[in-house]
Amino acid sequence: MSRCPATLLLMTALTLCTAATASAQGRPLNPFGRQNLIFGSLLPGVRTTVSRLDAANAGQFEVRGQRLTEVEIDLTLPAALTSTSGRTLPLEFGPADGGISSTAVIGASTAFDPRVPVRWRLSTNGRAYVFLGGSAVPGPNQAGGTYTATVVLTVAYTGN
Amino acid sequence: MKKLSLTLIAGALVLALAAPSAVSAQQSASILAQATVQTPLTVTGVSNLNFGNVFPGVNPTVLLTDAGAGHFQIVGVLNAEVDVSFSSLPATLISGANNIAISYTGGWNTAANPGAATAFVPSAGLTELLDAATGELHVYLGGTLTVPANQAAGLYQATITLDAAYTGN
Repeated sequence: MSRCPATLLLMTALTLCTAATASAQGRPLNPFGRQNLIFGSLLPGVRTTVSRLDAANAGQFEVRGQRLTEVEIDLTLPAALTSTSGRTLPLEFGPADGGISSTAVIGASTAFDPRVPVRWRLSTNGRAYVFLGGSAVPGPNQAGGTYTATVVLTVAYTGN
Repeated sequence: MKKLSLTLIAGALVLALAAPSAVSAQQSASILAQATVQTPLTVTGVSNLNFGNVFPGVNPTVLLTDAGAGHFQIVGVLNAEVDVSFSSLPATLISGANNIAISYTGGWNTAANPGAATAFVPSAGLTELLDAATGELHVYLGGTLTVPANQAAGLYQATITLDAAYTGN
């Protein structure tokens, strides 16, 4: 009998802490792709680079969530593009190939290394925009054709 | 017993408040990365540089327009710029332990017409555009042999290798 009061109080404390965390997150996170990363027409043996500042060709994501709340964003980058026949075309991503901004203005983005996670505080309207450049490196005998790969953005609240 | 209960509650609160900020449930989205690769260059040796029968002490010459001129054909993306060079342009033709010195002349044309070829120095290579309609570039080689009067008889030959690559321009 003496155990019951202690057990009840412990559960209440844990519940209060959990509830406090949920209310800080608020609005669910909603990421979505805005634009593919487009390397365009490549010549065999000629390296082609897309700048993260290239409004027409850089990859673009938008993240929506709770205003002024910090999120962690992680990009899963492919090592190569692949053709329908299984041929691969190497890709390279450098430390300045990622860009992140509170607005959709690509030129105002802050550079980050897309190969590692980045933390960012959502804007006053709960938005963040991620931009991605990179380089495609076709070999001199690269077979002609269309090559594709998938870039995945994963986002979560940090609790800060 | 009462003291034990209070300790447990306090401990639970401390643990909850002190818990490091953890990343919560994740959401994901994806985009594509895309590229279209154009036709790779092809380089074909169409005909050998052939001096035919040569006499000691007589220095033969093959002109770009002669039947014995060497001929390479390069084919690729229409109007693309290419770098052309010879990775092997031997200074001599060889027959066993004997050799004959050779010098070269070169010409290029986007049509298969050596008579209208533009001259170039083979050892320097060239950078030109493939034909806008056919994607072709033709490279012709002529040359002159220096044959001493006491040149030993035999079949003299060597390999010439042409390389071509897109510049991206």
